[in-house]
Amino acid sequence: MPDTTTGVVVIGGGSTGAGVLRDLSMRGIDAVLVEKGDLASGTTGRSHGLLHSGGRYCVNDLAAAIECVEEGRILRRIAKTTVEDTGGYFVSVSEEDLAWEPRFVEGCAKAGITCERIPVEEARRREPALSRHVRTVFWIPEDGHLDPFYLVVGNVESARRRGAQVRTYTEVTGFLKNDNRVSGVVTRDIFTGEETTIGCQAVINATGAWAGFVARLLDVEVKVVPVKGVMVVLSHRVAHATINRCHKPGDGDIIVPALSVAILGTTSAKVPHPEVLPIEWDEVHHMIEEGALMADGVSTARAMRAYAGVRPLYDLGAEAEGREMSRNFAVIDHEARDGIAGFASIVGGKVTTYRLMAERVTDLVARRLGVRTPCTTAEVALNDREDEMDQLRHRPAQLGVPKPHGDELGLQALICECELVRPQDVAPWFKDPAVRTLEDIRRRTRSGMGPCQSAICSYRLAGRLVTERGLDGPTATRAMADFLETRWRGVRHVFWGSQLRQAQVTTGVHLELFNLDRQLMHDLPPSLAGEGRGGGFETAEVASQR
Amino acid sequence: MKADIAVVGSGLAALVATRTLHQAGRNAVLIWPGLSSLYFTYATIDVLGYSDLTTTRPVEQPEAGVAQLIADHPDHPYALAGLEGLRSGTTLLIEWLRAAGFAWQGDLGRNLLLPTAIGTPKPSCLVPDSMAAGDLRRDDPIVFCGFHGYEDFVPELAASNLSRSWGRGEHSVRAVRITLPSFEPGNLFTSIDLARSFEDTTFRREVASRIRREIGVDGVRVGIPAVLGLTHDTDVYSSFAAEVGHPVFEIPTLPPSVLGLRLFDRLRKHIQESGVEMIWAAPAHEAEVSDGQCRRIFLKSAGREQPIEARAYVLALEDTVDGALRAGVHSMVDPFFHEALAHHEMPTERTDESLFKPQPYASIGYRVTRRLQPSDDAGRPLAGNVFVAGGAIAGYDPVGTKSRGGLAIATGYRAAQEAMAA
Ligand SMILES: Cc1cc2nc3c(=O)[nH]c(=O)nc-3n(C[C@H](O)[C@H](O)[C@H](O)COP(=O)(O)OP(=O)(O)OC[C@H]3O[C@@H](n4cnc5c(N)ncnc54)[C@H](O)[C@@H]3O)c2cc1C
Repeated sequence: MPDTTTGVVVIGGGSTGAGVLRDLSMRGIDAVLVEKGDLASGTTGRSHGLLHSGGRYCVNDLAAAIECVEEGRILRRIAKTTVEDTGGYFVSVSEEDLAWEPRFVEGCAKAGITCERIPVEEARRREPALSRHVRTVFWIPEDGHLDPFYLVVGNVESARRRGAQVRTYTEVTGFLKNDNRVSGVVTRDIFTGEETTIGCQAVINATGAWAGFVARLLDVEVKVVPVKGVMVVLSHRVAHATINRCHKPGDGDIIVPALSVAILGTTSAKVPHPEVLPIEWDEVHHMIEEGALMADGVSTARAMRAYAGVRPLYDLGAEAEGREMSRNFAVIDHEARDGIAGFASIVGGKVTTYRLMAERVTDLVARRLGVRTPCTTAEVALNDREDEMDQLRHRPAQLGVPKPHGDELGLQALICECELVRPQDVAPWFKDPAVRTLEDIRRRTRSGMGPCQSAICSYRLAGRLVTERGLDGPTATRAMADFLETRWRGVRHVFWGSQLRQAQVTTGVHLELFNLDRQLMHDLPPSLAGEGRGGGFETAEVASQR
Repeated sequence: MKADIAVVGSGLAALVATRTLHQAGRNAVLIWPGLSSLYFTYATIDVLGYSDLTTTRPVEQPEAGVAQLIADHPDHPYALAGLEGLRSGTTLLIEWLRAAGFAWQGDLGRNLLLPTAIGTPKPSCLVPDSMAAGDLRRDDPIVFCGFHGYEDFVPELAASNLSRSWGRGEHSVRAVRITLPSFEPGNLFTSIDLARSFEDTTFRREVASRIRREIGVDGVRVGIPAVLGLTHDTDVYSSFAAEVGHPVFEIPTLPPSVLGLRLFDRLRKHIQESGVEMIWAAPAHEAEVSDGQCRRIFLKSAGREQPIEARAYVLALEDTVDGALRAGVHSMVDPFFHEALAHHEMPTERTDESLFKPQPYASIGYRVTRRLQPSDDAGRPLAGNVFVAGGAIAGYDPVGTKSRGGLAIATGYRAAQEAMAA
């Protein structure tokens, strides 16, 4: 007998898994999502957050471009608060770019992407950041920013309200089977090591770059090539709109103004494993150089950190490699393909197309379960309950516009001054058992994402672990140290100028004023920090709530 | 502008050097490149908290610890400044603090062990009287008192950590909070706002009586965030402690550290009041050297270039914080001689993978001669009449050993002596 049972288990808490969970819950199917890290801690939280208009794919992958166009329009309706309609520029800076232009224009026309050529002088008036190297400019109004954290949390919260459950830091390590039918999963708690089984009628493998590993637990093959991409975060937006190079997608050709920062991306390199993502100086350097070709201010802006993500490129068996491989996704019906009933995989795709991916795989699984309720995720907005999104996260940083409720910001208490995060924004998350590290609070509130990279808010959050979560001092202090350490790993790659000076404030506060280095040498619980994941906290009380 | 001796810097080393020159009757000008962020993270003056980077055993006697350090590491800046430099500098500073109206305790013969805002004991040598009652070498129980809505000192966190490491029994440490009059918990207020309010008698009395009521019992001492007055701590502290009716001690908070502001603001004003000329917000960007001597340095102030001509110069800058070093992508360059003090193929080489380990960048600075002159690779002075003090000296990192303040005092004092002799 499994420890608990449900209808469908969704493995993976990225945009795809979150989308699937919501879709299932809206069709009235009981579901549990299990994620071995935090929500959006995989590829999703490490993307640029570019809401693709499709412009990047319209030449090489028309089908993907068309999906982006359609999904982009749907997201603007159903997930308004996660999208910032910046619009985007596609700029040419070299002869090669100019040669690409006719194909780009043709591709846009075929995909139905609105694309307007504007004179460079006019473009510069609108967007003074465009560099002097820029020779021609296209305006693509449907490029934008999509906040991946907010999107995932929004989907999950919407599903939770419909009865779905979420277990974070819970890894699927095996399957329960009846002959050739999957009847459940075996999971292991990352922090406590505790094993649990969940019985179900079907399992959906939405583990992106890890999909092959999960499938292998059932002795079936899903070929996903892990391809690393490195990104650099600048401390301000640099430009009003996204900027893309008008060429065959390559390294360092995207700038995304994302809330209070700008993200430069990206690179492309095959890696042996989705969790081996070293950041090389050449990559960081190259990105800043290439970015500076498109926009002024990139090379002089304050770089705050670098990070890496891993693309889940689904190998369709073609010879194509890296970016040449399709951005398209695949739904794999393992019953039809491998004779294993009750198991489906969904791989590839983009954040932008997460909803469509979820719809396709949920269609398949619902059909197998005999559920005929149609998909309604394209119509029902994420914030279908009053002000849901506002409760999830207020976004005063965005564009400097006043907050919707007209709060007087200057007078409100703040936890994170850099990102204007208030106590009431973080408070609910301390009560959520799915939140188990301070990084999880960061992903849900942006606390610690600004220039000081958590030097200040880490202490305040650690304090709240004691006062609101009931943790003891050593556990809270370890969580604080792990949070700082995770941020540090990104800061190290851009260690010059202001960010180097900033680091002296961090060490001044935590090591000199607080003597944290000595505290860590004493009797703190061991760090569980892994790449991109702060150590977890756990108390009997919280564990029992789960 | 002409001067006898020019001191450049905004930290403790610069202040000590300037005071040393002034006390010796020399005409010094203090050039303040800009507000140092150390301001906001400073509290006590640590001479030597730990003898090396890995020990958890605090140094009990800083003077003896420094003597040992000098014996073991003859090139350490403490060795260049000499034990005598530390002693004389400390005496000078203590007298100065008194003259400036501070009540501080200082004795190179012992370290106090004071709880930090995370409840970790930390060895410190020179401390304000208002912190001394926190000394963990004493046994009486501690109550940490915080304020509702104030996130920059969390008494519960401090109490929980300290109760485990301090071994005076479980009930010897506890945490309480009170609501402050006129500060709504949901509103934004900083340490500075609180410190200003504590200068008001009515406010202070009301807070004291709330704390007294909250604590109830006798025989405890009370640790509260260091916000007892922005400028004149002495009166605020002693009257407040009397009103609370228990020994009270301040604990440095998250930045802005009121203790740092109090210290630097007062010393800076005092030195001006005593007739020393100061040049504000003027980062230096060039030294003119001929025949082995620095003839002039050039400041950038309000967009203008201002030359300063002196017989000797003390460069008492603190790392990169106040612009001692310019950290480019590959090179760290000094603002006077434009020497590349370090070159890195990759910026990551400047750091350790862990934030909590010694950082290579922190020990980058001027190589110096035994007389603290900045020197080239071969050990030849870049200019015979220039002397370096404080964090900008290469080869040591005060973070792990908790020795920033003592090094500033010792090298500041010694650099000033050398400048007078030059
Ligand atoms: C550098 C880079 C930039 C990108 N930029 C963009 C962009 O700007 N716009 C865009 O639309 N797309 C972008 N993408 C693509 C997009 O990020 C991904 O396609 C998308 O996030 C994939 O989501 P996912 O949910 O399928 O995978 P993931 O987000 O990786 O989620 C899978 C999850 O499964 C979990 N998991 C794995 N194994 C197990 C197990 N055994 N048990 C439990 N859980 C498990 C993982 O921890 C992970 O969180 C980018 C990708 C990269 C690499």
